[in-house]
Amino acid sequence: MKIAGSYTVPFPPERAYEMMQDPDVLARSIPGCESLEKIGENEYRMKMKMVLASLSGAFEGKVRLADQKPPSSFRMVVEGSGKIGFVKGDGLLTLTPKDGGTEVAYDGDAQVGGTMAAVGQRLIDATAKMMIKRFFENLRSVEVSSR
Amino acid sequence: MIPQAFDYTAPKSLDEALGLLAKGAKPLAGGMSLIPMMKLRLAAPDHLVDLRRLKDLNYIREQGAAVHIGATATHYDVENSAVVRGKCPLLAETAAHIGDVQVRNMGTIGGSIAHNDPSADYPAALQALEAKVVLKGAKSERTVSVADFFVDTFTTALEPGEIIREVIVPVEDSGTGTSYQKVAQPASGFAIVGIAVRVRKSGGKIGMARIGVTGLANRSYRAAAAEKALEGKAGSATEIQNAASLVAERVDVNSDLHASADYRRHLAVVYAARALMAALARSA
Amino acid sequence: MATTITKPETLVGKRIRRREDPRLITGTATYVDDIKMPGMHYATIVRSPHAAARIRSINTKKAAAHKGVIAVFTGKDTQKVGPVPCGASLPGLRVPHHHILAMDRVYFAGHPVAVVVATDRYVAADAADLIEVDWDVLPAVADPEKALAKGAPAVHPEWPDNVAFNYHQEGGNVEKAFSEADVVVKQRITSQRLIPTAMETRGVVADWRPADRQLNLYSSTQIPHLMRTLVAQMLGLEENRLRVVAPEVGGGFGSKLNVYAEEALMGFVAMKIQQPVKWIESRRENFLCTIHGRGHVDHYEVAAKRDGTILGIKLHIIQDLGAYHQLLTPAIPTLSVLMMPGLYKTQNVRADIVGVFTNCVPTDAYRGAGRPEATHGIERMVDVLAAELKMDPAEIRLKNFVTKEQFPFPTATGLTYDSGDYAAPLKKALDIVDYQNLRNEQAQARKQGKLMGIGMSTYGEICAFGPSPATPAGGWESATVKIDPTGKVTVMTGASPHGQGEETTFAQIAADELGVNIDDILVLHGDTAVVQYGIGTFGSRSTAVGGTAVYFALQDLKAKIKKFGAMLLGSDDVSFSGGQVICNKTGKSKSIQEIAAASYRAMKLPPNTEPGLISTHFWEPPNFTFPFGAHIVVTDVDRDTGAVAVRRYVAVDDCGNILNPLIVDGQIHGGVAQGLGQALWEQAVYDDNGQLVTGELMDYAVPKAHMMPRIESDHTTTPTSVNPLGVKGVGEAGTIGCSPAVVNSVVDALAPLGVKHLDMPMTPETIWKLIARSKS
Repeated sequence: MKIAGSYTVPFPPERAYEMMQDPDVLARSIPGCESLEKIGENEYRMKMKMVLASLSGAFEGKVRLADQKPPSSFRMVVEGSGKIGFVKGDGLLTLTPKDGGTEVAYDGDAQVGGTMAAVGQRLIDATAKMMIKRFFENLRSVEVSSR
Repeated sequence: MIPQAFDYTAPKSLDEALGLLAKGAKPLAGGMSLIPMMKLRLAAPDHLVDLRRLKDLNYIREQGAAVHIGATATHYDVENSAVVRGKCPLLAETAAHIGDVQVRNMGTIGGSIAHNDPSADYPAALQALEAKVVLKGAKSERTVSVADFFVDTFTTALEPGEIIREVIVPVEDSGTGTSYQKVAQPASGFAIVGIAVRVRKSGGKIGMARIGVTGLANRSYRAAAAEKALEGKAGSATEIQNAASLVAERVDVNSDLHASADYRRHLAVVYAARALMAALARSA
Repeated sequence: MATTITKPETLVGKRIRRREDPRLITGTATYVDDIKMPGMHYATIVRSPHAAARIRSINTKKAAAHKGVIAVFTGKDTQKVGPVPCGASLPGLRVPHHHILAMDRVYFAGHPVAVVVATDRYVAADAADLIEVDWDVLPAVADPEKALAKGAPAVHPEWPDNVAFNYHQEGGNVEKAFSEADVVVKQRITSQRLIPTAMETRGVVADWRPADRQLNLYSSTQIPHLMRTLVAQMLGLEENRLRVVAPEVGGGFGSKLNVYAEEALMGFVAMKIQQPVKWIESRRENFLCTIHGRGHVDHYEVAAKRDGTILGIKLHIIQDLGAYHQLLTPAIPTLSVLMMPGLYKTQNVRADIVGVFTNCVPTDAYRGAGRPEATHGIERMVDVLAAELKMDPAEIRLKNFVTKEQFPFPTATGLTYDSGDYAAPLKKALDIVDYQNLRNEQAQARKQGKLMGIGMSTYGEICAFGPSPATPAGGWESATVKIDPTGKVTVMTGASPHGQGEETTFAQIAADELGVNIDDILVLHGDTAVVQYGIGTFGSRSTAVGGTAVYFALQDLKAKIKKFGAMLLGSDDVSFSGGQVICNKTGKSKSIQEIAAASYRAMKLPPNTEPGLISTHFWEPPNFTFPFGAHIVVTDVDRDTGAVAVRRYVAVDDCGNILNPLIVDGQIHGGVAQGLGQALWEQAVYDDNGQLVTGELMDYAVPKAHMMPRIESDHTTTPTSVNPLGVKGVGEAGTIGCSPAVVNSVVDALAPLGVKHLDMPMTPETIWKLIARSKS
């Protein structure tokens, strides 16, 4: 499944880029992330709990950052699997200055498998969009609280 | 299709229920969404508190200028209630479109809107009706408009420990025409697009138009631009078409196996026009 | 003693309500999941979430230690069981070894990897969640055309081209036909993957009696006897130590014409734990792991003269087989080849099939099994040809039909059509819809910009499977009829009805032949300990083959009844009618009840005659039967949304003699529902990684009651000479006739926009895009 869109955060690209490379910030921004532990260069083991309405599921997986071109772009690969299925997202994030803030455009692919894929087709698109939105909203509030 | 073990309580009073919910239990109403998710093990609540047996939540009554619908009124109740049919017929019409007979017999209005499925039918009507939702917690009660209640996909203004007590729908002024038009997804019956419309004319012109939309985006919404375009118009076919074409404007439209974003957007326009036509035909 | 009952009328041909219905309607029928036994355990199967993966390791420790779990088995434990059998043989067929539990690799999402056995099904499900599999996920391929492309992931590493077999058949001289043609039309036509969706999912109860060395296996199956033979082999158990019972079976549609891993697996588990065990398939498992149907990509070419005479047909089939061969998987597309000429005279055909492995659940027989694909193909092509030649679709069909004088008719594919009058149902259907007026109405509607379509299909099908040399496991059927000392009649059929109503139709046959009341007749089936060996119910065969076996068993029995009657009446000049043996001279009579009593009491026996009244007959049919018919569908397409509304559905079917019109109508209705499902709504969708994304009824759209049009069902009657009942079979007719008629109708509706073909399912969005494109 293709996932593309953009979100604007009210701080400059340098700041946005730096934040999105910081595992502590990522841990606080990725919705449901419970822990992020470094296992290699730009690679982290992640535990997350996804809670969405009645749905709840624990996932274990990895976050990997690659192709870093500060402060304009990098790739983020997120993989997770749990009892209810597995997800893999691989996307390019491009940062451009906009009105004193940054427009972060994302473009990538998501794979979903297991029970979630089999019974959640109707909702995957909407859910993915919401998770991405939450990520950026969290990023924004982390930035605010760090001032 | 075997859920994980869970505790179950059928409390005798609302206070008892709220006490349990405050400790983290999960409310169960009709179970039409929660139970299948539990059977698929997508949801595994430790403790269910069954609200369906609470008499204090199961009512439909006219009170002042509004109809008050208790959270555990079933879709069947809403569809067939003389009060709802007489005083806010759009909601009865919409209820008749939900799921199938079995779902309507079990599912409740509170359960449905608390779940806030982005393709559910009720939200379209409740948006058009400018309804309010009364939320009750162990120590507090507050009333929010549906515009504020439906936050995002599966996300509402409910705080942990809160439940929906009732939905308040204003009594329809006589002469208002209403209609709910829906494209049902053939497998699940959920709305690919659902459009709820209320229109009232005065002096040959459309004085009020309300358009609630479901199925299209991450949440239900009111198509304000389309509503505005209609006000003061006579309601000609062209005027309706022009207004309908605004119904999905600036909306990030969902896409899935059953309908691409482009097709959904197109259907929203077609069905908005149809719903407006039907509502106008019913208006005095 | 018994009083004489004279039966007032014959029952065959009457609309008699189904005798099996009261128990179904009142919820008192016994399905597999209704079976409860002392000490029964429950199994949950752990399945692969991945379509292709190596199994690095499986950790079962936590599951095994879970309270209430008594055993956990993986592929290592079961490797000596099996393999899951493929009953079809084709030259050069590649047959992957199909273990009942995966060994070191999985080949489709849903592949079973372990089984957890517990005292309670909830405990079993909890424990299954504790099994940890370390997966090495591999690239998968879920589309047969992509699987054939260079560089595609190999489903089975030993066969990197993903080709399971190539099959070729031809008749006549195709090249000559094509070289002489005025016109050649070509079209790619798909028949999408479908999920059979029987109302009852599969389920197995296995009960091992070690002291008796006896395994009782209860399974929701269409073929209890074949299952007994095959599962006994899989388990290494003597066949006479295995009893298979098909209790009430809640629909099969071909998906239970199979032997699955789970049947042997439950037998294995029961023998290991020495306790009864039950496994009930969830709907999600049913979608993932029970066979799918169809899965064709066909390339057709039809050569014709300018006057519409069809000269020859070329067909190339790409068959999506899935990851394994189930019982008949590779044989299904060969049935499409057999039926590729349809009802038409042409003697020049050539067909090639490439059977392709994909990382999906296997395809196999689903209502019609190969014939809907063939009928859809040829009936679409005839319309494509008619459009090319600007001919009326009815006219071009009438021009090319085998004529009624030509029967028995040898086809280019080696069949002999038994009997027919192909123009009759088409003409009747045209009359019913008032065809000429309908075309006039359509012309008016088109002037107003409305999209109204009229579509037809004239189908033929191959039924009553079948002569034994032409079937994988014997094509005969068996029947035993016995009359008790009190005169009550029991019919035991080797067929295994599961919704087709043979408890009623077979009782009608017996009631008429014996002249007894239908309430005195009991029809038994589906238990290998009760019923003589039989083949089962599939391929529209039960009445035509099994009913005929009943008929012949009854003839033997009647002869014996007459012998006893003659002895009791002291006369050689007797006749048998109305349940009485009557002395033609004196008019004295003996009833069946009196004769039955005398035959068991055996004070005196006729010469060379054994006591008792029982007769068994195994009937081998000399040929298939070939029912046919015409369906006409009127549709309206919503220009704004692309939605299709079926305004009229007329089905005129000729299934030979009709034993019970009510049951035949029911079969047509059900068949049409599944045909409409394929035409308009149903589609099993796998994503590129082999995930079944239509994994539940939330996303896989089977037709519901409110989505069905009224079906105007009528018949012509052309009896077959293949069997003495003159019946042909009707179980699959509705499905086979339906989908091309619906597609032809919608293509006709869209013809003014330049649309020439649509693939199924014809979703509103697909149609809307075509409409939108025509505007731009």
